[in-house]
Amino acid sequence: MNCEQCKNLMDGYLDRELDPITNQKIEQHLRDCRNCDQAYKAHGSLVRAIRDGAPYYKAPAKLRERIQSSLRQEIAKKPVRNVEDSPSLFSARPRWTRTVSFGTPWSGLAFAAAIVFAAIITFNLMSRLQRPGNDQFLATQLIASHARSLMANHLTDVASSDQHTVKPWLDTKLDFAPPVVDLSSEGFPLIGGRLDYLDNRPVAALVYERRKHFINLFVWPASSDAATAPKTITRQGYQLLHWADSDFNYWAVSDVNANDLQTFKQQFETRTPHH
Amino acid sequence: MALQLKEEHACESADSDPKIVKFAIVKKRQEDHSLEVGLASFEDAILPHLDAAHNLARWLLRNEQDAQDVVQEAYLRAFKSFAGFHGGNGRAWLLTIVRNTSYTLLKKNRAVDLTTTFDEEIHGSGDEVVSPVTILERSDNAELIKEAMDHLPAEFREILALRHQEGLSYKEIAEIAQIPPGTVMSRLARARTKLREYLAARMGKEK
Repeated sequence: MNCEQCKNLMDGYLDRELDPITNQKIEQHLRDCRNCDQAYKAHGSLVRAIRDGAPYYKAPAKLRERIQSSLRQEIAKKPVRNVEDSPSLFSARPRWTRTVSFGTPWSGLAFAAAIVFAAIITFNLMSRLQRPGNDQFLATQLIASHARSLMANHLTDVASSDQHTVKPWLDTKLDFAPPVVDLSSEGFPLIGGRLDYLDNRPVAALVYERRKHFINLFVWPASSDAATAPKTITRQGYQLLHWADSDFNYWAVSDVNANDLQTFKQQFETRTPHH
Repeated sequence: MALQLKEEHACESADSDPKIVKFAIVKKRQEDHSLEVGLASFEDAILPHLDAAHNLARWLLRNEQDAQDVVQEAYLRAFKSFAGFHGGNGRAWLLTIVRNTSYTLLKKNRAVDLTTTFDEEIHGSGDEVVSPVTILERSDNAELIKEAMDHLPAEFREILALRHQEGLSYKEIAEIAQIPPGTVMSRLARARTKLREYLAARMGKEK
């Protein structure tokens, strides 16, 4: 290490910010070079003079209070601003509108058009969402029932593959007599039946099996004009298939694939007596 | 336009629909609560560094009133961006904000301050070595050091305060002063040299 290098690294050395190897090299040089050693000592006492001599400006107590109260004002202001923002934003906007759209007639027209536009969209959305909204809510209930039946070791209240056991049991518990058929020969053996509560009423749940997968078929009386087109919903990996005849609502819920569920529906319909 | 309309619409319905108004009140209460919690943790983490903040601002602005205004403003800024602070070095984080706020004021009010205010007249021959004993023997040592530091440019005042008064590492200084870590040592060296030169000239004049 030469004097120039030593001089350049002096501050880092004094501040103990150098790596050990460089430190050693500097120490070696300082032992060898009187000039640099003197400069180092002078620099060291200057550093100490700054450290000890420069006044440290502590914050006055009143500054702390000022800051604390300004922070409290800030959070007190925030929600108020949210509420009052809308009118102030609103009153600020027309100015902007005027400058951009060159005169009021334009902005008035656009305004009216926008209202009509918004109304059309809202109307469309509302009418489209109205019915599926009910179905979606029901679908959530159905999936929950299905999942719970598999989870809580409560798949069936009456475990039997004999439709003549399941049906009478359900008939005594419900105020309606759901159709019960065994579909073993079609690949959907009947496992049993269960009571459940859906759509604000007690319902029958018929449990079928398809290659280790279970199908819950929920059945309850249809309201008068409920004969609707079959409907499928896929959600969270579950298939839901809905159909209705003149007497009953049917909702089949399972994790089998959609085709299997369609087959199930067809088999079930062909085997149930027509009304 | 559509946006404006939406907002207006939302505003109207919020006024008229009691459900929405109620919801807004609940939401406001939740916000109040979370704001208070946020303020408490902010004060716990950042208020202990008030002295450091004030000291840095005071050295940068060389004026008590400005320093206090800047520190207050910096705390407000810090509070607003506290969500972006994920623990770590609260002092360095706050000092960065204090520094930036100070420079904003310096630039606005006194552009001249950012350039070297080093007094060339008083600045004697650069290589003159002041005997350390000479400095330390003087009873008005502190006063002299303060005067000398105040005559240095802002970037030197700041780096000397950060190093000698806060005892920050080069890495922390680099972060706060927003310079490469390799620049910290050379800037410190220049600051100290300038300070020594000022002191030498000052004492030489007195003789």
